[in-house]
This record gives sequence, structure tokens and C-alpha cells, in this order.
Amino acid sequence: MTGYDGISFDDRMETVEFRVAERAHIVVDSDVCRSCTTKACVTACPANLFAPTSDGGILFNYEQCFECGTCYQVCNAEGALTWTYPDGGHGVVFRHG
Amino acid sequence: MAEPRLVAVLARCSDLRVEVDALTGAVSRDARTVAFSSSDAAAIEHGLQLASAWGARTLVLTAGGPECDGPLRDVAALGAEVRRVATHGSYVEELAADERALARAMVSAMGERPDLVLCADRSADRGTGALPAFVAHELGVVQAPGLVSLERDGNELIAERRLDFGRRERMRVPLPAVCSVEAAGTRLRRASLPASLAAARFEVPVAEVAVPGPAVRVLGSRAARPRPRHLPAPTGSSRERLLALTGALLSHEPPTVIGPVDASGAADALLEFLARNGYLSEARTGYAAS
Amino acid sequence: MTDVIVVGAGPAGSAAALLAARDGLDVVLLERGPFPGSKNAYGGVVYGRVLDEVLPNWWDEVPVQRWVTRRSTMVLTEGRALTVDFRSTDWGKAPYNGCTTFRADFDSWLAGKAVEAGAQLVTSTVATGLVVEGDRVVGVRTDRSDGDLRAPLVIAADGVKSFLAKEAVLLPRTQAKHLTLGVKEVLSLPREVIDERFGVRGNEGVDVEILGCTRGIPGGGFVYTNRDSISVGVVVSVEHLAAAKVRAEDLVADLKAHPAVAPWVEGADLKEYTAHLIPEGGYDHLPPLSTPGMLVTGDAAGLCLAAGIWLEGVNFAIGSGLEAGRHARRIIETRDEKPYRAALEETFVLQDHKRLRGAPGVVLSERVQQQYPGLIADLVQGLFTVTNPTAKPGVVKLLRAAAKNNGVKLRHLMTDGLRGGKVFR
Ligand SMILES: Cc1cc2nc3c(=O)[nH]c(=O)nc-3n(C[C@H](O)[C@H](O)[C@H](O)COP(=O)(O)OP(=O)(O)OC[C@H]3O[C@@H](n4cnc5c(N)ncnc54)[C@H](O)[C@@H]3O)c2cc1C
Ligand code: SF4
Ligand code: SF4
Repeated sequence: MTGYDGISFDDRMETVEFRVAERAHIVVDSDVCRSCTTKACVTACPANLFAPTSDGGILFNYEQCFECGTCYQVCNAEGALTWTYPDGGHGVVFRHG
Repeated sequence: MAEPRLVAVLARCSDLRVEVDALTGAVSRDARTVAFSSSDAAAIEHGLQLASAWGARTLVLTAGGPECDGPLRDVAALGAEVRRVATHGSYVEELAADERALARAMVSAMGERPDLVLCADRSADRGTGALPAFVAHELGVVQAPGLVSLERDGNELIAERRLDFGRRERMRVPLPAVCSVEAAGTRLRRASLPASLAAARFEVPVAEVAVPGPAVRVLGSRAARPRPRHLPAPTGSSRERLLALTGALLSHEPPTVIGPVDASGAADALLEFLARNGYLSEARTGYAAS
Repeated sequence: MTDVIVVGAGPAGSAAALLAARDGLDVVLLERGPFPGSKNAYGGVVYGRVLDEVLPNWWDEVPVQRWVTRRSTMVLTEGRALTVDFRSTDWGKAPYNGCTTFRADFDSWLAGKAVEAGAQLVTSTVATGLVVEGDRVVGVRTDRSDGDLRAPLVIAADGVKSFLAKEAVLLPRTQAKHLTLGVKEVLSLPREVIDERFGVRGNEGVDVEILGCTRGIPGGGFVYTNRDSISVGVVVSVEHLAAAKVRAEDLVADLKAHPAVAPWVEGADLKEYTAHLIPEGGYDHLPPLSTPGMLVTGDAAGLCLAAGIWLEGVNFAIGSGLEAGRHARRIIETRDEKPYRAALEETFVLQDHKRLRGAPGVVLSERVQQQYPGLIADLVQGLFTVTNPTAKPGVVKLLRAAAKNNGVKLRHLMTDGLRGGKVFR
């Protein structure tokens, strides 16, 4: 997938270091998402981690997350997202933030 | 053999995200991203587990500059003894270091003979995987490389190694030995809060052993620049080239339509196809058809 | 015995820890990242004068990329740009005005100052909650084993998402209305190329704030020069971004493709992509700044000025952190947190916020975001287009036409002008 910016999204995310933790710090309850009409997280997540599935749910992968918190701010369905910080020392590491 | 008393872990600590300038080839390292690689961390974890099972001491040794003290302090908070073998030289010199001499320096920095030496299978940046062999040679003990699991069996070890095609090899390793491990899902535990607080001001001891300079002298480093290759300009008009590339107007062998046939008819057709294209000898075809 | 627990080694936390430790208190500074700054991302300029009294000659030590000597405000519409450009050589020498720097560098440096002063920094440790007794905060829980830590004072400097302030019910859990998302690309370019493209020399740098580049989503953009890279990004209202179903990196791509920006970024390679939230409620939406046993500082308290052409937060974070640290001893002794807020009222931290309390409302209003850029561009284009042989049109006529063209009523222009005048007086 190449953005019209000439750099693919994968390459974009490649520039960022993630020290992936064993525990998923964000958990999405796809059953709740099925009844969500906005699916706001899908475009709002800057890391593009929310993938809609054909059955109306959401497939989520926590590994390349900026820990920015946008998803739980835009999500209006109670209980869809469990958001915590990754265990200390893990997760995103910015060097030019 | 008597109960093991000392488990030494040789852990390399380096910047895991070294930046190389694509234009100048300049390598820049950042002290803040200096850490143990996942296999080095796994080696430390195995060391802690085995040592506690035996009631032995764990000694974690790292060769490097003061930038390694942070990660070593974290290990000290886990209850291991730590020691840093001071190296000087630049990063590139360090990469070109004489590994045999380094192995000798590390062994002498241990102070006493270890019963087990653990280390990562290969370092993330140097990546020769030769150090454990040199250490084993130096100590005159057996070596087991590439391990994914290590279990204690009395005063010996049962180790597992990954082989090709998803197979595993289980072996018994007598001590003393040098074992190098892959991360394979083993993660280094985290220290408790009181231990981390206590270790925050801990001074990492530096071993005074001379680490000789590099075996290879680095005269300079630069980015790889392949020589330019002469490519002739394409001939023909762009339309002709496009046609040649896509084969749009060439004649093709039309697809063969077989069937509908029954199973044996289909098998015959397939065999005939294979024979026609030289994949099967006549004799074999005859055998299959009979 | 720990006297003060500071959660978060960002600018607010390190400033608080610095002064509390200098005051002889036993300070523990907790940071969830592997090193201070590793979790933090911002645009790019730190206004450091707030450090004058606590770290004299800070400018000799701060890990600076470039000193900002040129500041531009740009209004963009499709294919057009109006720039107000200001330069000052004063900003290029001590005590300077602002510098570009990366947070991994700056936050590590400031945390180092706190450690030098005697604070104990513990990284890779998340404060997962508060220890509360009665109505008092008496410590924090961490994600390490044996991880409870108690102290008579907790300073929450845990940034915009502040789960600690949320737990103490000082902040609502979600508040998309008052949050902006910032995304940034750091693009590498040789130093000389940057000097040439931006018309600067040596360690001089440029700060460009941009309006009208976000497809009408309330927000703005920025371009900052670093030593051998430039930072380009946008900040946009989370609520409106989500509603518009636009991806943030596409807005950055738009900005980079604009004819006024494209020549700056041409041929540059992406070095790092980052994203972070910003609180921008302004003075009118500040939460209570303390609860018994706990003070809230910096972004956690919403002390950040992010309204299009302003992006200031590090200075407010440091300012509020310093006051928290300075008054820590007294607060511990008297068990009365009021002096903290009182001190903030006396400093630029709350005075600026009070003065500019209407700024987010004005700068992020629909007309300023969606219609005025076009209006201004039309007006200026009208003024500067040489229409010979037709005679030049008058300004009033141009203004009328531009207003009409962009769906702005002159009466709106009047009221917005008055409102702006009041806000920015
Ligand atoms: C895109 C963007 C552009 C910006 N541009 C500018 C600019 O140009 N100039 C400017 O002055 N400001 C700018 N800002 C604002 C500025 O970044 C913030 O206001 C400032 O960083 C606030 O500092 P802080 O110390 O309060 O919080 P932060 O910098 O967020 O620090 C909080 C710290 O706490 C840690 N932490 C959080 N929770 C926990 C926990 N539970 N346990 C342990 N540690 C924790 C975090 O890891 C972090 O290190 C910008 C912001 C953004 C997002
Ligand atoms: S996470 Fe929230 S916003 Fe996203 S699909 Fe699920 S319910 Fe909707
Ligand atoms: S925290 Fe940010 S990056 Fe992570 S999933 Fe949520 S929106 Fe995406």
C-alpha cells in the first residue's frame, strides 16, 4: 500500500522503534465494535492499527502503537477498548520526537 | 561434579538501532538506545534461573564503555553480580576487534573459573557467533551453541536446539560448559521497585583487564557504492518495446482443454503432458499406464 | 523515606524534581519509558527563558538543534500562500528566545539536571494507580513487583493522558473535544541545503506556523528546522479529524505537496514518524490543579497553549513543574496544596492562559479555519495582481468581493475582528 506521498505506510512505520511487550496493552472487543456505527478509530489511529473485518468487527494489533490515546478518545462505545500503558520500558521509543 | 558455584553470562550491550548515514557512511551510536539484545537478555534470564536452582552466583560481564552501565545496573537490581570490561576504541574498531583476545580478556575478568558460561548465540551487530567458541577454547570446556531451552538436571543441563525442518535436538550437556542461546521467547524478568530504587545509584565495577586493540586495522569506512554499470540505451520505438515486453501480438500456444474426463483419463492426460515436456521417461509412462 | 514522588520525567516532572531535590527533599522520579523523552513527541521549539533563574546559562548546555531567529506565520489555500515573516538577530544570541531540539535529547538533559540535584530517576516503570487513604493521595502503585511507593506528596506530571489525574477524578476519562492530535515527520536533509532553502546560517533556525492546511479540520501545521533535518507536521482536533474520516498522515502529505512547502522538503528522506496528543482546552477548561496529597502539572493539568499559530507547552510544563517543586516542602509541612495554584497565578503559566483564554475558540473557529484563509488570499492576490489596462480596484471593493467569494458576511468580519482584538489585547 503506497500513500500518495510516495512512501508506503509500512516504510513509514519502519522508521519508528517499537520494543514490543509480551502483553497487549490495548485490547479491542470486536463484538462491541460490530454494533459501532462510526468506526472512528479506523481512520483516526495514526498508526493505522484498526482493520475492519468483513463481519463488521475490528482486527487490532498492538505492536506498532504510538500510545497516543487517540483511539480511546474517539471511541464512543463503552467497553470496546481496554487501554493501558505497555509494561515499563516497552512500546514505542522516539528518538526525534 | 560438585554443585555449580558460578554461572557467568557474557552479555553484549550495544545500540540496537545504530544509524548509518546513507550518503557518508558515518555510523552514529546513541547511548540511550544501548541495551541487551533479546538473546543476550535471554542468556541473562537463563543464568539467573539456573544459578538460583543451584544456589550459585550469577556474574554478568559486558565488554564496552560507560554507556553499558545503565543496562548493567538493571541487571544488578535482579540480584546478579555485574562487571564491565572496559573497552576504548571507536565503534568500527570494536566491530573489528580480535575476538580471541576479547574472549581471553573476558575469561580473565571472571576472576575464578565458572561452571557454566552463557551468552547469546550471536550478537546483533557483530554477528560472527565466534566468541563462545573462543571462550570454550580458553577454558578448555565443551560448547553447545544455538540453544532454545535449557533445563537443569542435577548438576548437568538438558538443552534443546532447533534443527532444520522444524525438528529439535535434545542433548545432555555436562558441566563445565559454554552454552549460547537464542531468545526463543525467553524474556528477562523485571526488577522489583525497591531493588530498582536501590540500584539507581549503584556504581558498576569495572574490571581492569587489558583488552587488546583490533586484529584488523580499519583504515576508513564509507557507504558501499557499487561501480556504475553501462547499460545500452534501448532500441526501437516505445510501442515496439511495450509489445516485446508484454508479448501482446505474438502467437501463443493455445491452452489445452481436456475433459470432461474421468479420473484415469485425467491421469493419462497429465502423464502424457509430463512425458511430452520431458519430465517423464517413456518407460515410466508405460509403467504408470499399465 | 521518600518525600516526593514525581510521576513522569517530561519537562514538568523533571523541573519539579529538580527544585524539590535542591530543597533537600528525597525525590523519586518515575518514568515509564526506557529513558526520559522516549515516549514524548512535540513539534519542535522549546522556549527556554523559564529556566533562566534555576539553570543560569542553560543555553550553553541545552542540547540545541538550532536557535530560532526567524519566525513565520503562513496562511495557505490551494495553490496560494501568504506569509508574515519576522527575523531577529537578538534571538540568535544569549539569552535567546527558542531553540529546536528533540525530546529524547531535551527531556534526558533536564532529567539529568534533576538527578544531579539528587533526585532518584527510575525509568521503565509505569505508575499504574494511586494509593489513597481517606481523601488523601499517599503514594502510587507501579507495574514492578513490590511496586507500591508511599510519600506525603505526589506530583502528577504524567502528560496529556494523565491517568493519575483521571483516577483522582480531576480529569474526565475522555474529552476528545479538547484534544488535538499532532503528527510529525522528521525529514533528513544536509545541513547546507537547509541553510540555503530557509535562508539561515550556522546554528540559526526557522519556525513556521501554518493555518489553512488541514482541509478545514480545526488545527494547523508547522515546519521547523533542526541541524540536519526538518520537522513537518500538523495538529488537528481529534473530534473533527475522526468525523472527517481523514488520515493524519495524508494531511502531512498535503502540506508537503503545497507549492509553498514542497521546495523545502524536496528530496528529503523520512527519518522518523511520530504522533502525540495535545491538550488545548485553554484556561476555561483547566481541571482543579490539586487534590489532597497530589499536585498536577504540565499537560496533565492542561497547561498547554495550542491554538493554530501557538504551540507552546514545554515552557508551561517547566513553569508549573518548577512551582510544584518549589512549594513541595511547604505543602508537605502544612498539608495544604493551595500555595501551588496561588504561585501559578503569579507567574506566566496562568497569566498567559488567562490572557489567551479565548484564543483556542477564535483560532479554531470555523470561519478562521475554513473561510478566512481564502478571503485573505483573495484580498492579497487582488491587491498585488496588476490589472492594466483596467484600473486598480479599491481595497474595500476587493474586500467585499473576497468576503462574498468565501461566504463571509462583513458583519462577521467585524465581530471576529473585535473578538480577536479582545482575545489578543
Ligand atoms: C505535535 C505537537 C507539537 C508540539 N509543539 C510544541 C512546541 O513546538 N513547543 C512547545 O513548547 N510545546 C509543544 N507541544 C506541547 C508540549 O509537547 C507539551 O506541552 C509538553 O511536552 C508537556 O510536558 P509534560 O512534562 O507536562 O508532559 P509530557 O512531555 O507528556 O511528559 C509526561 C511524561 O510522563 C511519562 N508518563 C506518563 N504516564 C506515566 C506513568 N503512568 N508512569 C510513569 N511515567 C509516565 C511519559 O512517558 C512522559 O515522559 C507540542 C505537542 C505536540 C503533541
Ligand atoms: S474501537 Fe470503538 S470506534 Fe473503533 S470500531 Fe470499535 S467501538 Fe467503534
Ligand atoms: S494509542 Fe494511538 S497509535 Fe495506539 S492504537 Fe490508539 S490511536 Fe492507534
